[in-house]
Amino acid sequence: MKTKDKKPFSKNILYIENIEEVCNEIIEKLKNDVTRKLQRKGAIVGISGGIDSSVVMALAAKAFESKRVTGIMLPEQDSSGDSEVLARDLADKFNVESFVENITGALDGFGCYQRRDEAIARVIKDFDPKVDKAKIEIKQDINQNMPAISSITVIKPNGKIESKVLPLKEYLQIVASTNFKQRSRMTMLYYHAERLHYAVIGTPNKHEVEQGFFVKYGDGGADVMPIGHLYKTQVYQLAEYLGVPQEIIDRTPTTDTYTAEQTQEDFFYQMPFETMDLIWYGWENGYSANEVGKVMGKTTEEIENNYKNFGRKKKTTEYLRMKPIF
Amino acid sequence: MLKNKFINHVKIIIMKLKEEIKNYIIEASLEDADKIKDDTLIFDTGLLDSMGLLFLIEFLNENYQVEVIDDELNPKNFESINSIVSFVEGKLKTQAAV
Repeated sequence: MKTKDKKPFSKNILYIENIEEVCNEIIEKLKNDVTRKLQRKGAIVGISGGIDSSVVMALAAKAFESKRVTGIMLPEQDSSGDSEVLARDLADKFNVESFVENITGALDGFGCYQRRDEAIARVIKDFDPKVDKAKIEIKQDINQNMPAISSITVIKPNGKIESKVLPLKEYLQIVASTNFKQRSRMTMLYYHAERLHYAVIGTPNKHEVEQGFFVKYGDGGADVMPIGHLYKTQVYQLAEYLGVPQEIIDRTPTTDTYTAEQTQEDFFYQMPFETMDLIWYGWENGYSANEVGKVMGKTTEEIENNYKNFGRKKKTTEYLRMKPIF
Repeated sequence: MLKNKFINHVKIIIMKLKEEIKNYIIEASLEDADKIKDDTLIFDTGLLDSMGLLFLIEFLNENYQVEVIDDELNPKNFESINSIVSFVEGKLKTQAAV
């Protein structure tokens, strides 16, 4: 962006003024991408009851007049029960056919739970997967200039919490095991897409794509990503405009992947998305740390460290966005 | 007697520490040795990212039996070869004193 075109940095800088026009453009592009470029008849959307998949479902319902859209809920034994109820309400509201494909059996077959729990038990010695809850967290301060390292937290039935920095082998094994979840979902979505001659519509937003908060060939495996260019606050703005149920809009974004409740902020982003959206925009568009810091109530050094962390995350996750090399 | 032997062992490890950590970082980052100084900021210069740091922590644990806890994951302990060496030295001295 040229300096002369740049608006002064403000907290409203990401607000979409012409929301109707923006939604119509996305809907038209989605329709064109699916029918003309991909030569497919309709849309398959994996719906989780989260804000991103709900907005994608609403956009697809408008692009294909509901009748050529299928919403699939893909819960497994660790999923929150609320997710399925909310996803079904969403499909009903947009008059879209939906059904449940429980992937617990497939995950058991892959040894997903067993491999994950073995790795956790090597770090937290008395971990009992039958009764304990577990999650992965990043506990470091995002405002310091330091790459993120994950910890495992185990919560006992009596509320006792034990947390340890994850050693390399255990970290990699836990991530590799839980990634079976997103990859099994992708496999099931493509089964139905091929059965119906539809395209799989991906649900990642801009942060997920650019910071690498997705699983390669898992939730990153899709034919089109209609909200891949939108900041999270803009996804919420679309949700309000498109009429996504309020319960979904009000819900805190979680990973719905580990047995303990876990927000996306704790797991990956290390800051609230309202803050992250603005600082990321400032970084991406060349606003000085000083200007952004004044608006965000942070020091220049903190914003500089946020910028460095963003750059590092983007670089570290390039592998996820790379196509096969030949 | 046994404790004195252990303290001497720790002293020998500390003497070789800087060279070993530097060699590890050169090898892990695929960077030219002459570009990596003892006070080079390893995160600012992109020598190590989060996976690189995780591999370094594994290296410290395997070679010096140093376990890192959450509160120790800060730039003061990891931003340069000098800071890593003094962090590991401190941990080894604490272990030797116990």
